Amino acid sequence: MSFQVALRKELLEQWRTTRLLIVVVVFLALGLSSPLLARLTPELMKLVPGGEAFVPLIPAPTAADAVAQYVKNLSQFGVVLALLMAMGALALEKDKGTLALIVVKPMPRGAIVAAKFAALATSFAIATALAAAAGYYYTWVLFGSVEVAGWALLNVLLWLFFLVYTAVTLLASAITRSQVAAGGLGFAAVVTLSVAGSLPRVGEYFPGQLLVWGATRMTGSEVRSWPALVVSVAIVLGSLVLASVALQHQEL
Amino acid sequence: MAELKPWLPLLFPLLILELGLLIFALRDLRLRERTRGSKWMWAIIILFVSLLGPVLYLTLGREE
Amino acid sequence: MPAIRVEGLRKSFGRALALDGLTFSVPEGSVFGFLGPNGAGKTTTIRILTGLARATTGRAWIAGKQVVSPGAQDLARIIGYLPEEPAFYPWMTPVDYLDYVGRIFGQSATGRRERVAELLKLVELIEVQARRIGGLSRGMRQRLGLAQALMNRPQVLFLDEPVSALDPAGRRDVLAMIDRLRGQCTVFMSTHILADVERVCDTVGIISRGRLLVEANQEELLARYATPAFALESDPATAGLLPSWVEGLRACSWVASVGVEGTLVRVVASDTDVARRELLPSALRAGLVLTRFETLRPSLEDVFLRIVGERGEKE
Repeated sequence: MSFQVALRKELLEQWRTTRLLIVVVVFLALGLSSPLLARLTPELMKLVPGGEAFVPLIPAPTAADAVAQYVKNLSQFGVVLALLMAMGALALEKDKGTLALIVVKPMPRGAIVAAKFAALATSFAIATALAAAAGYYYTWVLFGSVEVAGWALLNVLLWLFFLVYTAVTLLASAITRSQVAAGGLGFAAVVTLSVAGSLPRVGEYFPGQLLVWGATRMTGSEVRSWPALVVSVAIVLGSLVLASVALQHQEL
Repeated sequence: MAELKPWLPLLFPLLILELGLLIFALRDLRLRERTRGSKWMWAIIILFVSLLGPVLYLTLGREE
Repeated sequence: MPAIRVEGLRKSFGRALALDGLTFSVPEGSVFGFLGPNGAGKTTTIRILTGLARATTGRAWIAGKQVVSPGAQDLARIIGYLPEEPAFYPWMTPVDYLDYVGRIFGQSATGRRERVAELLKLVELIEVQARRIGGLSRGMRQRLGLAQALMNRPQVLFLDEPVSALDPAGRRDVLAMIDRLRGQCTVFMSTHILADVERVCDTVGIISRGRLLVEANQEELLARYATPAFALESDPATAGLLPSWVEGLRACSWVASVGVEGTLVRVVASDTDVARRELLPSALRAGLVLTRFETLRPSLEDVFLRIVGERGEKE
């Protein structure tokens, strides 16, 4: 009950502060530009003085290049957006004092954390779905048909990847009292996760592997990484629980 | 530029999105009384950092 | 059962002690003025009572239920809280915010609509009800703060310096609104401004350096601590006679102190009854021609300064 009330407010906030619009526009733009960029790379090379000589050296772009571009662009911007949208979520409310006015009312602090996460997850879901549709259409037009089920799986995994960073940044926002500190802490967590994800052997257990799973599914040699999936879900749930506990113990 | 001509119908929606976001951010910057950091700095970031510039302003720069 | 009971509340921030064994109780239905200089511990007390902050030691009860932090849900249902500078979501309108608060309290759609309309009328925000809160003035936000604190018809209402940030007109309006709450709920209002307390509060607690100095009914407090004073003004023609008369007056046993400013004499009596009988005849006997003779109504300010000053000196 309290969760629904809080979620309604958070979704309304995503809408009224144009945050939903921002993620949607950025993701849509990336969904369109990734296949285009893959297809146009040779043409763009010709525009660069002296670039013409390299054109024969570049293999003709394929749908796989479009997918690789899509995964790279969306994952990078997605992480940045997760950081930007979640860092202030709790820290700013503590700093400004809006949270104090709400928690003296019958609204459990855990419900607030859960609602903030759910609202951000919803925004990312809508944006990812639209980017997927746009990316699918452009890849189909430029390179021919793409396997729908694989494309859907790739995008669900991308979404989960964003949620990991959203939850971790939300935890940073719960611990700190300023948006800047939360951003710094969140950024440190992002760097830690990506460094750990690139280590041999250990890396297979980190969220970055979700992208490998999705991308390899599209190229035919699917590498299913269940451990990474389990770890990602665990990071999300663990961060949310810790954020609630942290908020519970703070004087607001 | 002739090479890009056949792709214009596909480039057009992308252009609309990017330009729309840019104009939206600039309009918000112009109408806003207070921003975090100077307005000039944000104008430059919005105009010259493609896609990310408007996003940075809209998420970090706006102040009531 | 008192509306609020506080026993030996202590709160330290590092080595600094904000509350030092605070004890008091607030009778149900009263408008309680929690009075003290800045930094006395008023805000800390309210934050502990609302469950926002934790007491280092000591206990408190509201309507018989013990206060904990983070605040318990059943207590949260019966209290209202207005911080010194209430902060709202700038993207909401006053109606949105009050509706959100109503939803938190689980009120029905019709119940919310009626209560929101009622409160917007009470705090005179009808004209701006559909405007973004981000564009409202400070006084309007303060009034919205009062409205959100009343949304659940609280039994106990906490107001932290509700009018100190407002201009004289805004101050008058908000004080009038608080005055109208009398009888509907217990109001616990902190302030450092004596005139506000004098206007609306029936009971007063004076806090200084984290301790309660005095707690009493307002009239009782005035009767107990206020020293009556008399003001006399001499005609300039007889002003020359003043110094010797004042000299003689200071020697009288019923006089506590005498102050002179030009032709104006202020006499503080230690025995009011004798002063009432003796002061005027004494002035006439001295040959003074008076243009004014007045018994000064004791003010809470005199009491406050005396109490805080007295206790301060002892420490």
